[in-house]
Amino acid sequence: MRSVVLRINPLVQLSVGLFSLLGSFWIRSLPVALIALGAYAVAGLLLLPGWRYPLACLGFTAIAAVTIVYSTWRLGGHDVEEAFTAGLRIVVLAGPGSIMAGYVDPSRFADYLAQTLHLPARLIAAFAAALQKFTGFGLAWQQLERVRRVRGFGPSRNPLANGRYAANMSFALLVQALRGASATSIAMDARGFATAHDRTWAEPAPWTVLDRLALVGAAVLGCAPIVARLGGA
Amino acid sequence: MSLGEARFRGFTWRPLGRRNPVVAGLDLTIEPGERVLLVGPSGAGKSTLLYGLAGALGTTIAGELSGSAEVDGRLGLLLQNPADAIVAERMGRDVAFGPENAAMPRDEIWPRVDQALESVGLTYGRDHFSAALSGGEQQRLALAGVLAMRPDILLLDEPTSMLDSDTSASVRDSILTAADGRTLLVVEHRIGAWLKHVDRVVVLSADGEVVSDGTVQAFLDGPPPAGVWMPGMATPAPLDVPADLVRPLEEALSITAADVSVELVTRTLRGTQRTQALTGLTASIDPGTTTAFTGPSGAGKSTALAVLGGLLKPGSGSVTPELRRWKSARLAEAVGWVPQNPEHGFLTTTVGDEVRRTGHRLGRPVDVEQVLEVFGLARFATSNPYRLSGGEQRRLALAAALAHRPGVVLLDEPTVGQDPSTWSAVVGWIRAARSAGATVALSTHDADLPIDVEYLMRDGVVA
Repeated sequence: MRSVVLRINPLVQLSVGLFSLLGSFWIRSLPVALIALGAYAVAGLLLLPGWRYPLACLGFTAIAAVTIVYSTWRLGGHDVEEAFTAGLRIVVLAGPGSIMAGYVDPSRFADYLAQTLHLPARLIAAFAAALQKFTGFGLAWQQLERVRRVRGFGPSRNPLANGRYAANMSFALLVQALRGASATSIAMDARGFATAHDRTWAEPAPWTVLDRLALVGAAVLGCAPIVARLGGA
Repeated sequence: MSLGEARFRGFTWRPLGRRNPVVAGLDLTIEPGERVLLVGPSGAGKSTLLYGLAGALGTTIAGELSGSAEVDGRLGLLLQNPADAIVAERMGRDVAFGPENAAMPRDEIWPRVDQALESVGLTYGRDHFSAALSGGEQQRLALAGVLAMRPDILLLDEPTSMLDSDTSASVRDSILTAADGRTLLVVEHRIGAWLKHVDRVVVLSADGEVVSDGTVQAFLDGPPPAGVWMPGMATPAPLDVPADLVRPLEEALSITAADVSVELVTRTLRGTQRTQALTGLTASIDPGTTTAFTGPSGAGKSTALAVLGGLLKPGSGSVTPELRRWKSARLAEAVGWVPQNPEHGFLTTTVGDEVRRTGHRLGRPVDVEQVLEVFGLARFATSNPYRLSGGEQRRLALAAALAHRPGVVLLDEPTVGQDPSTWSAVVGWIRAARSAGATVALSTHDADLPIDVEYLMRDGVVA
């Protein structure tokens, strides 16, 4: 059951985010917001393969939500319910999409973008090559970390110094990413990408029964606020 | 031009940030179907010529280009740093990238992919994560990606530099089979094994000029060019590096690994790849001794060095002393580590600062000028480390990691990409450090490196 999210195709994975975004516009009251969020929470608990990554995503979404809650409360006449509704709307709008994006396999995503949506092949191939770089970033980060540690520039217990260290590491990774991107673009061109106007794809982009069911499920979740509102919540 | 031809006319290239051109006014034609070996000292501009033919100069790589570098036909280029050539998360799709670009039907792509992977000896299967491969394995993956395209012109930059001799031989056979009837331009430092398979040898000087161009026999009969590993030549004498530059500033440690196992995990949300890098490693490295970890790519050599240096936590077993728990500055005082990818080792924006940096941090004196002189990098003191050639970057990474005179010296493939003279400097440094009492450990495929103790590894186990 928990591998369903990994087995459905990337377009269906991302449709969860699209439907949640559309559905969020119907969230105008706190009960509707709670019902919508509850529906996604139940679906997440039942279907997601792990809990750490979704929680991290929700943490980032929560930062946006808190700022919205505060500003709505401050500027909207100190109405607590209104403020929380606005905050939860942001969580429903951005949370499911940001979580599902992490489960997208770059190569499969490219297969579907090109073969189902018929987007331009070169653009999609380049996009997929860029996305897969994220897997390598973890290893590059590990190497950069080792070098800094063994050269006396590792993290310490001083929070200020650690802030500087994190900034340095991020910049070093950015440099690596940019240099790697140049080299990768050369390697891609040298493997026929420069002249690939009529590209084929090594894997097909089928729509299975599971994909169709999951798409319906994503739409149903997205409709939760509409149903709740029509039901008088 | 005819299919498979490559041609340079008045080709001049000056990279951004360098005062003088790397290559100036080069004229060179490679005929269709010719097999050419391109040799020359480190930094002579060999890779530059390949980049020129790939159309990367002045477009992707910034600098000033004049003249022309043209090819007719489908190109297959293998870069020096294989990690940069990865375009897909999994091996199968990575190799399929070229055939997809060539608009090949799906039922033809996969047999080609499987054949290319088999020809370079990668047997993990199509779904193995590309990022989970070792340096030498990534080099073979990149080569498989090139071979699967069956290009008209193969441009290969040091295709076997990170491989042991057995794997090198089989990979070379695969290249030659794939290159049958096609144009092949190979850059390599260790040329002996290539000579009987090529038609022509082009020699570049340190200034990027063609100093000799002819048949293999003419090359062998002519005067030996500077900076080229001639077949049968005696191993160069290690450079006499002053002991004051390398003598450890504190007593060198003995480090012992007892029954150490390490599982490397490449984790994504979509799956996890576990590679057993070390199994029950028991080894020790000692002061005044050069210990080498040898064996095929993926055998666990780099992992062994990282575990001994306290840079990686063992899954089980113990390492004494437990350097992993040492604070960063204390570890730096005791250990110098040179990573396999030199670009990961750079912390500053000039070559001089790079060498000075760790010493400055620890309050240790570093004679920057003399260190750069030893490694033949003195003229680059104010250059950006990223503007150096592959071989120069490796020497700089070594200088930067060791100039502060640590007692333990750990080197990951230190002699890759070096010509005889720079090899002599690198090996001279290693030998001098050992003689001055340092604990030296390295991973290598280089049979000429003088070593005292060898751990031959295979599949994570000492064979």
